[in-house]
Amino acid sequence: MAFTLYSLLQAAILCVNAIAVLHEERFLKNIGWGTDQGIGGFGEEPGIKSQLMNLIRSVRTVMRVPLIIVNSIAIVLLLLFG
Amino acid sequence: MSNSLQPHGLQHIKPPSSKRRVPVSQPGMADPHQLFDDTSSAQSQSYGAQRVPGGLGYPAASASPQGAFLADPVSNMAMAYGSSLAAQGKELVDKNIDRFIPVTKLKYYFAVDTMYVGKKLGLLIFPYLHQDWEVQYQQDTPVAPRFDVNAPDLYIPAMAFITYVLVAGLALGTQDRFSPDLLGLQASSALAWLTLEVLAILLSLYLVTVNTDLSTIDLVAFLGYKYVGMIGGVLMGLLFGKIGYYLVLGWCCVSIFVFMIRTLRLKILAEAAAEGIPVRGARNQLRMYLTMAVAAAQPLLMYWLTFHLVR
Repeated sequence: MAFTLYSLLQAAILCVNAIAVLHEERFLKNIGWGTDQGIGGFGEEPGIKSQLMNLIRSVRTVMRVPLIIVNSIAIVLLLLFG
Repeated sequence: MSNSLQPHGLQHIKPPSSKRRVPVSQPGMADPHQLFDDTSSAQSQSYGAQRVPGGLGYPAASASPQGAFLADPVSNMAMAYGSSLAAQGKELVDKNIDRFIPVTKLKYYFAVDTMYVGKKLGLLIFPYLHQDWEVQYQQDTPVAPRFDVNAPDLYIPAMAFITYVLVAGLALGTQDRFSPDLLGLQASSALAWLTLEVLAILLSLYLVTVNTDLSTIDLVAFLGYKYVGMIGGVLMGLLFGKIGYYLVLGWCCVSIFVFMIRTLRLKILAEAAAEGIPVRGARNQLRMYLTMAVAAAQPLLMYWLTFHLVR
């Protein structure tokens, strides 16, 4: 019941950080989720796995810079206010 | 105005557009494209003048103190300057508000009237006899909720949410567990669950590559309908104890389950499956699972958000 909007925000920041931290060469290629292994042609349905890989790749590309800003703000606020 | 059910909190959406609209000679209901009745006649001016003193809390004649105040030329100029500044600011906000909050799209969801609300509430509690669940379209745009009981609206979810928070406060108060910050906690908890649901469903819709016209606001509207059942359950629990709570909540859970399945089937599943032809292929099966998962999450959340209120 103490599930507030603030904890949702915290969880969202942590999740996006987790996605951004996945390393392309050391990890994703080893489990077959690299960005160059996904494109299976122009079939009608991309399938869940390729959608997920697309999602991970786009999140990592788009959220790189905003994450730096959001993380810095979060660090400063947590240091100041606990 | 025929929309007498709208509370003051929502009325700020209506007046700016009705003031700017050109007065139409015919009565409001003739044109389905028009979402609200046209009240931009002389009547609205007197209504507005009546409302302002009431809002300020000065029901007695407010003319005389204002008259003495305005006689001073400096304050006259200051008032004129202030009002022109306010008008400029209002123009700026009006121009840019559409970029952040889609106000015109939101107005569609609040174009309801009493009959629609009554029929929709009946549908939420007893959806078993309703035959036709399709939303009627009019030249590519869905018809306003006022004219079709199947259209989603945001009025009922918004009102039900606020009522849920108030009823939760009432329930906590009868058990001597009430404190004012708990109201905010309840509201924020329910909102957080709603946001989480919307995000989870949007994510799964993206992963399953469903091409639907189910917009985010539609989804919020559908997910907000469960608050109605929650309110009913908690109120019955207050009156008749745990037995009443479980009975009414169970009934509302099943109704919401059926309602969501019948509504979402038309939006998520392909046309063929919606008409009862058996599903073909793994893709439709995945969509069916998604619909059932969304519908099954509603009773779970209804129970989770209310069981701690009834003892």
